[in-house]
Amino acid sequence: MRSSRFAFTAAGGLILSVALVACGGSGERAENEILIAVIFDLTGPTADVGLDYAEGVQGHVEWLNARGGVGGRPVRLIYQDYGYQVDRAEQLYTQFVQEGALIFMGWGTGDTEALRLRIAEDRIPFSSASLSHVLGDAHESPYNFLVATSYSDQFRIVLRWIAEDHRANGGEGNARVAFMHNASPFGLSPWVQGGEDYAREIGVHVTPYEMPRGATDYTAEFSRIGQSGATYVVFQNTSAPAAVALRNARGLGIDATFVCLNWCANALLWRLAADAAEGVVGAIPWAPLTADVPGVRDIRDYLESRGDDYGDKTNAYTQGWWTMAVFVEGIRRVLDAGQELTGENIKRALETIDGLDTGGAGPPLTFTPSDHRGSKGLRLFRAEDGRWTPLTEVLTAP
Amino acid sequence: MESGVFHTDYRTDMGLRRVPAERLRLGLFAAALLVFPFLASPYWLNLANQIAIATIGALGLNILVGYTGQVSLGQGAFMAVGAYTSALLTLRLGLPWGVSIVAACFATAAVGVFFGLPSLRLKGLYLAISTLAAQEIVEWVVTHWPALTGGVEAVVVPAPRLFGQRLNTDFGFYWVGIVLAGATALFTANLFRSRIGRSFVAVRDQDIAASVIGVNVFGTKLLAFATSSFFVGLAGALTAYYRNIISWERFTLETSVLYLAMIIVGGLGTIRGSLFGAALITLLPAMIATAGRELQQSAPAVAALLPSVQQAAFGLVIILFLVFEPAGLSKLWRNVKDYFYVWPFAYRRGEGR
Repeated sequence: MRSSRFAFTAAGGLILSVALVACGGSGERAENEILIAVIFDLTGPTADVGLDYAEGVQGHVEWLNARGGVGGRPVRLIYQDYGYQVDRAEQLYTQFVQEGALIFMGWGTGDTEALRLRIAEDRIPFSSASLSHVLGDAHESPYNFLVATSYSDQFRIVLRWIAEDHRANGGEGNARVAFMHNASPFGLSPWVQGGEDYAREIGVHVTPYEMPRGATDYTAEFSRIGQSGATYVVFQNTSAPAAVALRNARGLGIDATFVCLNWCANALLWRLAADAAEGVVGAIPWAPLTADVPGVRDIRDYLESRGDDYGDKTNAYTQGWWTMAVFVEGIRRVLDAGQELTGENIKRALETIDGLDTGGAGPPLTFTPSDHRGSKGLRLFRAEDGRWTPLTEVLTAP
Repeated sequence: MESGVFHTDYRTDMGLRRVPAERLRLGLFAAALLVFPFLASPYWLNLANQIAIATIGALGLNILVGYTGQVSLGQGAFMAVGAYTSALLTLRLGLPWGVSIVAACFATAAVGVFFGLPSLRLKGLYLAISTLAAQEIVEWVVTHWPALTGGVEAVVVPAPRLFGQRLNTDFGFYWVGIVLAGATALFTANLFRSRIGRSFVAVRDQDIAASVIGVNVFGTKLLAFATSSFFVGLAGALTAYYRNIISWERFTLETSVLYLAMIIVGGLGTIRGSLFGAALITLLPAMIATAGRELQQSAPAVAALLPSVQQAAFGLVIILFLVFEPAGLSKLWRNVKDYFYVWPFAYRRGEGR
């Protein structure tokens, strides 16, 4: 009894002290600082790619501030891990907006959907790492901006490439594709938002397969895929589960061409799947850090100046970096026009971006008042000897 | 002179609050609740609303698990039924929000009874596994029946309005939340003073003995499933209207486990435990996270480790509770009261109340 009372006093004290720290003032804030809020997934199910994305976003801000900020004003990030939990995202959103954030950068499809209506009401420009097609519809989601090719466009580009590749290799009849996706809105988004219709239109036979969260074995799925005669497998998932599936498929001797959309086509796939990743085709909107283009060189110089090895980072880093860069461009345009810095003005400024040069890191970006899908095209890469080597030129979504 | 509180009639003796101190505390708590939204920032209001919803859900779960002893892992599923039913009734049939919330509660109660049927034969862990099936089945139906539920896509719920005012703002919803949470607590408190409620407890404590004294065990279990699911459905429906947008990701097995954690940490089979548990489980991660943000500025190296520490700290608190105070926060609160009852003396006469 005595010891339990002591332990409880201790535990109570601990909770109380955490609460006190938590309630304390949130630091001084310079007068001309520009506040941008971000939530990252550092501990949740998509943390495998979330870490690099987070570092990319932070890296860009540090790089920018070292060069004097935007229009002479420094940018301050307020950020927090939300562990892929929608409730946490909503709490953090209210907290950050209240602290004066002008822009909010979300992460997953779930939290972005959950906040879509509120950001429009609060007039907070919003980007997400989720590239769900509907989020680019400026009528439905007026404050969401997609800074890369939407999942649906990526999938359509891949399907068209598959149809051509199938013919070029002398395949008979229609190409058969297995679409293996994360069991979530993120996973199904390319399929339900236009992918299914397009596949029917061009005569590619696609069957979707769900990849349950946390699965360590996909033998059942692959035996069905093997029986269906599919010769292409497209993944819409993050690197870790895709790597598990790849190793599994190689082990089972599945003879198919594997294609990764966006979130599994990165250096992490190599690290996790090793040889099993050889020959995988990647739909990559933002170039890997190994690409020698001006838009990536800035990032490499920055990382080297910090003594970091860019070889360790994935293209999620590039995506984080450039997502932030696009918003900074919006802010710059508002300041250059001498307007007041508000969410609404930043949104309008972003809508004037026409053919923003990303230095080859991605295709040029264009936003209009009716279309917030920044780019419609991407390059396909192929994994060869531990590197993503360009396979095609920039392809535009049909 | 009277030294102590003596009840001289049945009415006061059977009152919910029998001692002046209890009434005073309740009054203070109510006053704090009334003043809170005028002082609090939207962030705290947001948390308060989340706690209100969680309290309703935890009370519901406590009726089933804490009072009737039927362990359920289907909380997330039942919340999903409530949320989707209310959202779709408004969206597809144009029913007013009040009507569809009530309809959603009854629908969830019906679904709860259906998944409670295995309790005829199953007890304890076996029943828990069969409610796990409920969780999986409902999740599967929601994600694989796009014609009805919109599938994996999020469902946008029309904003509830009262007298032309939108109710799903942080401030507006606060009143809905506390009134309904208060009503749920009052109902639950009274339920367990009634014959039906006592039979729930009898089934929990010893089902064979209960049947010997004339309790219809199976019927009682089903009634517990229905009552519990009714409130869980209410929590789900409120989530839908408060958040405006729902998707299945909100109602996973993780939700079920979190609610179980709430009632265990709070105190099984107590009403204030449901409130305490809901508050702790909601506030703790938020607090740890905010503390982490403070460290981002003062100690960035520590802050970098924090996301992982957060999860460990959360787990640690729950383990500490289970080890040192299995009866939960509710017992802790009673210990505090007992201590001050005779303060500054060390012992009190007789048993603690």
